[in-house]
Amino acid sequence: MAKTTGKLELRALTKEFGNGSEKVVAVKELSLTINPGEFVTLLGPSGCGKTTALRMVAGFETPTSGQVLLDGEDLSALTPDRRPMGMVFQSYALFPHMTVFDNVAYGLKVKKFSTAQIKKEVGEILDSMNLAHLTNRAPNQLSGGQQQRVALARAMVVRPKVLLFDEPLSNLDAKLRAQMRIEIRSIQRRLGITSIFVTHDQDEAMSLSDRIVVMRNAVVEQSGTPEEIYRRPSSVFVADFIGRSNFLSVNEVKKGGSGKVSVEASGVRLKVNAHPKALKSAHPHLLVRPESVSVKKSSASSKSRKANEGIVKNVVFYGNHVEYSIDTPNQTIAAVVSDPVYDEIVPVGAVAKIDFDESRAWLLPSDSAVIASEE
Amino acid sequence: MALKRSGTKYDIFTKIALVLVVAIVFFLIILPLLNILIYSTQPTGSAIITNAFSDEVIRQILWNTMKLGLTVAFLGTLLGFIMAYTQARVEFRGKKVLHIINLVPIISPPFAFATAVIVLFGRSGIITRGVFDWRPTLYGYTGLVLVLTLSFFPIAYMNLLGMLRSLDPALDEAGSSLGASKWRIFRTVTLPLLIPGFAGSFLLLFIESIADLANPLIIGGNYTVLASRAYMAINGDYDIPMAAGYSFLLLLPALLVFLVQRYWAQRKSVVSVTGKPSGRPTVVTSPIARFFLLSVTFLLTSLIVMVYATVVLGAFVKIIGVENSFTLEHFRYLLGGFANAAVKATTFLALIATPLAGIFGMLIAWLVIRKVRRGSEALDFLGMLGIAVPGTVIGIGYAITYNDPVKIGGVTVFPQVAGGAAIFGGAIAIVMVYIIRSSPAGQRSGISLLQQIDPSIEEASASLGASGGRTFRLVTLPLISGAFLSGLMYAFAHSMTTLSPIIFLVTPDISILTQKILAEADQGRYGNVFALCCMLIVLIMVIGGLINLLVRRFQVSTDRPLVTGR
Repeated sequence: MAKTTGKLELRALTKEFGNGSEKVVAVKELSLTINPGEFVTLLGPSGCGKTTALRMVAGFETPTSGQVLLDGEDLSALTPDRRPMGMVFQSYALFPHMTVFDNVAYGLKVKKFSTAQIKKEVGEILDSMNLAHLTNRAPNQLSGGQQQRVALARAMVVRPKVLLFDEPLSNLDAKLRAQMRIEIRSIQRRLGITSIFVTHDQDEAMSLSDRIVVMRNAVVEQSGTPEEIYRRPSSVFVADFIGRSNFLSVNEVKKGGSGKVSVEASGVRLKVNAHPKALKSAHPHLLVRPESVSVKKSSASSKSRKANEGIVKNVVFYGNHVEYSIDTPNQTIAAVVSDPVYDEIVPVGAVAKIDFDESRAWLLPSDSAVIASEE
Repeated sequence: MALKRSGTKYDIFTKIALVLVVAIVFFLIILPLLNILIYSTQPTGSAIITNAFSDEVIRQILWNTMKLGLTVAFLGTLLGFIMAYTQARVEFRGKKVLHIINLVPIISPPFAFATAVIVLFGRSGIITRGVFDWRPTLYGYTGLVLVLTLSFFPIAYMNLLGMLRSLDPALDEAGSSLGASKWRIFRTVTLPLLIPGFAGSFLLLFIESIADLANPLIIGGNYTVLASRAYMAINGDYDIPMAAGYSFLLLLPALLVFLVQRYWAQRKSVVSVTGKPSGRPTVVTSPIARFFLLSVTFLLTSLIVMVYATVVLGAFVKIIGVENSFTLEHFRYLLGGFANAAVKATTFLALIATPLAGIFGMLIAWLVIRKVRRGSEALDFLGMLGIAVPGTVIGIGYAITYNDPVKIGGVTVFPQVAGGAAIFGGAIAIVMVYIIRSSPAGQRSGISLLQQIDPSIEEASASLGASGGRTFRLVTLPLISGAFLSGLMYAFAHSMTTLSPIIFLVTPDISILTQKILAEADQGRYGNVFALCCMLIVLIMVIGGLINLLVRRFQVSTDRPLVTGR
């Protein structure tokens, strides 16, 4: 069910901490429009400003400049308790002196719901999240995953227009994290609540989001769908932050027709897709994900090998895939071969021939070129 | 991420609380201090200050005060450390009992030690004369050092015991796995880590002993210190500016040392408080070390036990050590009219002050940790002033300030609350003193507890739509109720036993138990002194216990590690 309310706009949101020489810019002119029901993830390394941005939306931080608008209404003057938003905290922040029921009922009591209505609403949401049997437990009697679900129920029961998640899965173990990802996404879809999710975990961002906003040093590096971010990153930083990457240095960059660019990498000529700024960049890099590299045994000796042949330095067999790292004359290449054929894994020390899938490669401008062209 | 989430604007509740706190602090402590400063500029006052080092008499008083402070601080810290180390690292029977005995002096009435020590070890002491036929002179420096060390060493004991227990046992284990002997580990690991604790305890004991008034009055003899001299200026010379001058001389080092203690010694602490101890602390096994530690412990503990035995026995016999026949005449005399009014008034006023002091301390703690951005340290310091400023100085400041209505430009901004002509016979000033003297303890425990509670718990409440006041009431207060309780207990016990500021504020209409004890001790009627001390201790235990029960009913269990993020 698609909602028509819950459109969130961040306009040139800026936050500076400290004064004078100690001044730190945590978020710099962040502008973002989030459509009703959209799930947007702010992704970036720690210290990139993503949490500060979220806290400005929630109202816990006052922006140095810029605005937050919800359905066209400026929220700047509203304290957190006046904003129709729910927040899920990294530490869950359940009230330790209240039962699960009281925790979830808290927001409804504040909104002066009748006792009967509170009972009904809380009961329904606890039911829907498989928490009904824990109604009268204290938070410290719950497991991490259960605490997480209570925190989610507590934030959602008040029907906020926007849900804010501050790294809510980082305290869970890997298996539970994967399970909670699915749970959060399905509930969010069902209720159609506009959501902002802050994380430094790329898997979380990829699996949850309609759109990922990658942040670095207080500014947005790139904003796009998970597929765009993965396949069409705008910078080496983004490509490196999301997933694993090989960056090949390239020669003889030419326009190759039908929007493609022809480059020479590791002695092979490839026709690849390119970022618009890549052609202008002095040292473009070719992004090839490890899974786009194919590896075959080669009969060449280590001395007679060509530019696209290398010596296998390391092999790790995972069952469903093999990870190689291969020394070529130019650089070390990482390769992932999924579903390897029995007895065809190239052993350490042997020479392997590597091929790049040109349809999945992406030519990137070097980072300095990006910064220069923006100025 | 910092504990204080510093981005939001102050909500209305915070603003009101802030204004209220500042106003209360102003009238309860700042204004009296300002008046001390103003009065000390008048001729007889400024003469004291300007001649502090040239006038031989004043210089002697200054030196007496410093010498006493330094000796007691040194001995108290040393004893406190030995007791704490024994408690933490030596295995023996009766450890828990020992711990409690070591803490008792903290809540004991001000005269119990001085009088009991005179009875035991004085010129005609039960032990000195009775056992050894020795007639030492206790009055003066020796007696003061003995009594003050016994009274104040528990502060160092608690301080250092806490630090010793929070030392990670893995540090000792690391030392011994690197081949160091236990003695070497003690010298090179344990002691260096405790240095901030030693410094902190030393400074605290110094402040306590230079500020003390009760003991110099009873056992000081001709050994005059600043506190007793300021008292004499009021009660002997009837010279308020002179009292203000001596108060100023006392206030200066007290505040200075307090600042050093708070903002230097505490910062230096390198002891990391980790959640779970990763092993068992090493136990002292060397026979020589054990013998030494246990002997000191045994001696000191028996001394404390003897003092209290003297107090209790002395209350029920005619003249302890002289005429040891059982009698209830002390109690009969006290309850027959002499102390009835004082018992009622003291208890009543302490009961009024207790919840106010508790809430006030919590409110400051909450503002300091959660709300105030710039100047939170200043606010913290303002809240602590009540304990940093010697009681004598507060008392004199109150007497100066509140014996008349406070007027600004001819308009009364605060009524006369002290002195016999004041409303309620001066009771309000006494309650005010109780509050400002005992709220700092609640403030401290509130601050340390709030620092452990994840701020996002309060943010969660705000994001669910609760206002600042509602969040404080529904979430913050229940979570810090443990600290609130201990703040209440301390406030009550401290109010009941405080003397030095009260002495300047009692009126014919309002008499206070501690001041009655002083009067009886002055007259040498030790039987009455002991009986009064017993009554005071029983009152504290019974009413303190009731407060405990009452608050515990409304308390929630927070005795688990709260999840803290980041």
